[in-house]
Amino acid sequence: MDIQLKRGLLDVCVLATIRDEDSYGYQMIKDMKPFVEISESTLYPILRRLESAELLAVYTQEHNGRLRKYYHITEAGRARLVAFAEEWREINSIYQFVTRGGEVK
Amino acid sequence: MTKTQFMAALGARLSRLPSEDVAKTLEYYGEMIDDRMEEGLSELEAVAAMGEMDEIVKNAIAEMPLVHLVVERIKPKRALRVFEIVLLVLGSPIWLSIAISLFAVFLSVYISLWAVLVSLYAAVFGGLVGGVVGGLGGAVLFVIKGSMPSAILMLGGAFCCFGLFTVLGIYLNKLPVWVVHLSKRFLRFVKSLFVRGGGAA
Repeated sequence: MDIQLKRGLLDVCVLATIRDEDSYGYQMIKDMKPFVEISESTLYPILRRLESAELLAVYTQEHNGRLRKYYHITEAGRARLVAFAEEWREINSIYQFVTRGGEVK
Repeated sequence: MTKTQFMAALGARLSRLPSEDVAKTLEYYGEMIDDRMEEGLSELEAVAAMGEMDEIVKNAIAEMPLVHLVVERIKPKRALRVFEIVLLVLGSPIWLSIAISLFAVFLSVYISLWAVLVSLYAAVFGGLVGGVVGGLGGAVLFVIKGSMPSAILMLGGAFCCFGLFTVLGIYLNKLPVWVVHLSKRFLRFVKSLFVRGGGAA
């Protein structure tokens, strides 16, 4: 996949894992597994970037006697997902057109 | 490695970076290792699952603004004694000019990359416009003078220029992407200079 495209998709993918409920790092990686293999070291800069862009918020909560960071999607983050869905609705309709009648040879 | 060894090694590699960023990074990886161990992995397996140290360091500095890295590097780590302050002030013509020239070098690399691109575009566009206009103009002049063969020659020349430079222009459009890519690699390289043991640019 085009590397620039992949970077943009990873951002959106991360936001999608916390779309309906807050989550933490390792859980997010597991949730993304069916769609994209992402390592801890790849996820880290994405989380930092999303946090500084205020697309998600971070808070700490106790779990099993240690502290764990949880990520929460912001309104701006939600707006990003909506924009993404819109873009891909358009792309999908073009895809349908390209592949009409079956596989493209 | 054990978790303690891993955290120490990572901390050492990042030791020259802003302390807040280092703390956040260490917290993150500590948490990730703990989470994996909770899933049932052994400590060694959990640490191994984090990946290569070079990769980790590279990704850690990727989102840190270059300005932070520079500021952290030059910030005094302890209170300066009076004579040190005096030396700094007296020596400012030297270190200040070195700092300015380093910054100028850094800036000029960027400027050169983009300047080359701009000149190429200018050359192609100039060739296109100049060739076409010149050729057409010459053709018109020769028609007025009544010298048809020369006019046709000029017209042919105009068409050639149009074709040649249009094709060149199309290929030229692939360059900006490449230049952006090069700029990013250069930035990563500069950032890696701030990290101990190299950031594996």
